[in-house]
Amino acid sequence: MKKYQLGEFEEVVMLTVGVLYNEAYGVSIKKEIETRLSRKVSVGALQSALKRLEQKGYLKSFDGESTQERAGRPKRYFSITALGKRAMEYTKSTRDDLWRDIPKIALNLKIAG
Amino acid sequence: MMNDKPLPPRIFLHFFRWFCHPELRDSIEGDLMELYHERYHEAGKRKADRNFAIDVLLLCRPSIIRPVQEYNHINNYDMFRNYFKVGIRNILKYKMFSFINVFGLAVAMSVCMLIILMIADQKSYDQFHEKKDRIYRILSDQEGSRHPYATSPFPLANALKAEYPIIEESTNVTPGVGGDILYNHQVVEAGGYFAEPSFFRVFSFELEQGNANKALVAPNTIVISKALAYQLFRDENPIGKTVEFSDRQLPFPLKHNGGGATPVSWGSFTITGVLDEAKYRSHLKFDILVSMASRPALYAEKKLEDLSNNWEWYFRTYTYTVLAPDKTRNDLADALNDLVARKYATIKAEQTKGFRLEAQALGDVQLGLQGNDTSDRMPLAGYYFLIVLALVIMISACLNYTNLSIARALTRAKEIGIRKVTGANRKALVFQFLSESVITALLAVTMAIIMLLFIKPAFKGLWINKHLNFELPSTVPVYFIFIGFALLIGILAGIYPAFHLSGYQPVSVLKKLNNINLGKLGLRKVLSVSQFVISLFFITTSILIFNQFKHFLAFDYGFTSSNVVNIQLQGIDHQKLANELSAVPGVVGVSACNIIPATGENNNIEIKKADSEAEYAPAGILLTDDNFIGNLGLKIIAGKNLPKAGESSDRFIVVNKEAVEKLGYKYPAEIIGEVFETKWGKESLEVIGVVEDFRYKLLVNSHDIGPLVLRNQPNFMYINVKVISEDLMGTVAKMEERWKHIDPIHPFKYEFFDDQLATTHQGILDIVSILGFIAFLSVVIACLGMLGMAMYTAERKKKEIGIRKVLGAETLKIAFLLSREFLKVLMIAISIGAPLSYALNNLWLQKLPNRVDFGFGTVFLGTLVLLTLGLITIGSQTLRASKSNPVDSLKMD
Repeated sequence: MKKYQLGEFEEVVMLTVGVLYNEAYGVSIKKEIETRLSRKVSVGALQSALKRLEQKGYLKSFDGESTQERAGRPKRYFSITALGKRAMEYTKSTRDDLWRDIPKIALNLKIAG
Repeated sequence: MMNDKPLPPRIFLHFFRWFCHPELRDSIEGDLMELYHERYHEAGKRKADRNFAIDVLLLCRPSIIRPVQEYNHINNYDMFRNYFKVGIRNILKYKMFSFINVFGLAVAMSVCMLIILMIADQKSYDQFHEKKDRIYRILSDQEGSRHPYATSPFPLANALKAEYPIIEESTNVTPGVGGDILYNHQVVEAGGYFAEPSFFRVFSFELEQGNANKALVAPNTIVISKALAYQLFRDENPIGKTVEFSDRQLPFPLKHNGGGATPVSWGSFTITGVLDEAKYRSHLKFDILVSMASRPALYAEKKLEDLSNNWEWYFRTYTYTVLAPDKTRNDLADALNDLVARKYATIKAEQTKGFRLEAQALGDVQLGLQGNDTSDRMPLAGYYFLIVLALVIMISACLNYTNLSIARALTRAKEIGIRKVTGANRKALVFQFLSESVITALLAVTMAIIMLLFIKPAFKGLWINKHLNFELPSTVPVYFIFIGFALLIGILAGIYPAFHLSGYQPVSVLKKLNNINLGKLGLRKVLSVSQFVISLFFITTSILIFNQFKHFLAFDYGFTSSNVVNIQLQGIDHQKLANELSAVPGVVGVSACNIIPATGENNNIEIKKADSEAEYAPAGILLTDDNFIGNLGLKIIAGKNLPKAGESSDRFIVVNKEAVEKLGYKYPAEIIGEVFETKWGKESLEVIGVVEDFRYKLLVNSHDIGPLVLRNQPNFMYINVKVISEDLMGTVAKMEERWKHIDPIHPFKYEFFDDQLATTHQGILDIVSILGFIAFLSVVIACLGMLGMAMYTAERKKKEIGIRKVLGAETLKIAFLLSREFLKVLMIAISIGAPLSYALNNLWLQKLPNRVDFGFGTVFLGTLVLLTLGLITIGSQTLRASKSNPVDSLKMD
């Protein structure tokens, strides 16, 4: 049973929101992911992921200040909710468990190979 | 540097704004703009533009695209419930205002609904015919006639069917059957039409008994109504029975002109069908249908005129056609024009100048009364007249609603402000106010339906309805129309306040209530003034028409009509009846005549002096016996009375004073002994006497008395019996006994002359009743509106009044202060309305013959009525307000 559903990209977005802490809004999240993970992120993909996460209750948002270069439009800041935190922890622990249970030899072999 | 703001491609920006979910739009647009600016500075405009476009296109995802429906429609139901709840609460909170609104609207609606009922009633006629959409009645029109005739040439039906393939079927329906059916020593009066077998193929009348295909084929066969069959045969089977029919030229179907000529036997007829005529609502009413094939025999015996090839005379026959299913009205019009062009090329009769045939759809027949029509119905103009009256009332009531709603905006301003602040947009507010007015209208329609229960019988009881036969059944579809009507009225009444109120700026209404614009007071005053002007006009007009009615009733006709009983001869010899009746105690005089003077019937002749070159002069003619002049108290001013009937007695005539002048004589004595000749028949008539003028034409129709000729030519229709008796009804009863001696078959038909004369003005009384009612309603509505405004003003100024009173103002002064604005409205209304109603009423009154004096007295009376009602309305509120204890209004706050 999937307790917390979190896709790969969603997880990245969640983590980035966490990293950016108080500065997480559309453009900053996009840039952070692009620089850290060196992958292209389109505004559309990001926004729909953000919306999805908000609907799931992992993120919450609030409107922030508007600046001139945004043509007066407000920034929408995101932060992680308690439920979101639990979802991230759950994901992390499942991955850790998996990591832990990989026989050493498998990894070594790979390295050797 | 940032001032020259670079802008992304507009088309993509607009596209994005269009498709994006409104909730996300602003923040995402901000992101897009931020990115655009960054790219613009890093990589230049072209690249930034391209990336912007790509971003926008990639944003087209289900989660970001807005839902197809407006976002704020999601919780529709709750909003509706809230509007409804707030609406009801508002209605309940201000009970008096709501009552004024609901009552005013209900009153006006009930009148409108009555008219809807009338039209629905008329529209329900002739709906039972299977081919109703394809049936047309052919109308005849002639150059210069005011409206077309419902009748058409006799041979038209056959010609259409034979010569035009677009006509599926057509039938000729000819009136002129009106007389007695004799069966087994029993006589029943019956009227109806000559009809062809195709009658049953055009119309969907079904026979209860008998075969419709064969019923009217053979000569001397008839179809009778079920009611008639029951009267004649009770429970026996009528089919195949033979009855005698004698025609008395009873004017059927227009039954109101009594009389009837000496019976002419048409022979025996076999009943081939029974039709339950009462079951059908049709403009064709009949007791019997006589087969068209019976006519040739009657032509041969000279009992009827042969019209079968007569295209000139188009006043006697109704023609109905059924169009082939795929043909249109235009095809029919073309066919009719073609037929007229061919048939009338050689006909040069006076009445066929500019002759045209038109088609009238069967569905329009009942409402579209034409000349020579089959039954008495209200002409279309009558409906327009009533609709205009009802609309005036309805508009007045709607204005009340509008007026009051705007005036009371203050009570709603806070609510509007709060709603706007919490996110209601203007559309939602408009919707809210409209839903409130619709609720009011729906309440009003319920009330109106109850009111209708009282108005309907009153309307049906009007004299005129004896002829119009409105039944006004309330069917289910009619109720749907009512509801639809209420919705419409709700929207119309509420639309202005809705837009006005929803336009308030929340900041200004929440901050300072007194700032808000209460709607232009000028406009409201204009509305109020116009309501009162209209009311005044209606009041004055009704008083005027009522005066006219009284004037007609008290009119001096120049003859004595009191205690005179007019008896229809119904074909009996007048001398025989006169002898019988003279023997009745109480009868002091018996005379005979062919038409009752001043009741609407006129006969005319044209005469000129014998052997002269003079023009023929028109004159009315009254056939009377020698007792007539004495019996009706006419005064002979020269010469002597008509001679007793006898050899060549009809050579002598008595003329009236007017005729003396019109024929060119100065003194009555000069005309005695002069001989005149008639235009038709070239008879010679010698004047032996002159009578004082008396009215023989209908008062409403003619102002002139007109020249009149009296002649003793025994072709009488009525006996006039002068009765002087304590027990009038007893004498009449005795006369009836005598009648039964002579004519055991026909019922004794009598009327008092006074009543007959009064009846000719009953129509006016009906107009008075209708107009008076409308006047009453319009005053009530105008006063209700003013009542509402006065109440509201009094309520608003409660504190002011309290303070004034505490400072020592007098009650009356305060009342006057409060009333001043309203008094102004009333005064302006009167100063406009009084001259206006005087002028407008004079316009039509000038055209009316024998009019009553219309002076300022009538206008003054109307003004007085209006003023009294207005003052009571205003006074009731302002006095109450000014009498209130200041403590009550000041202790709060």
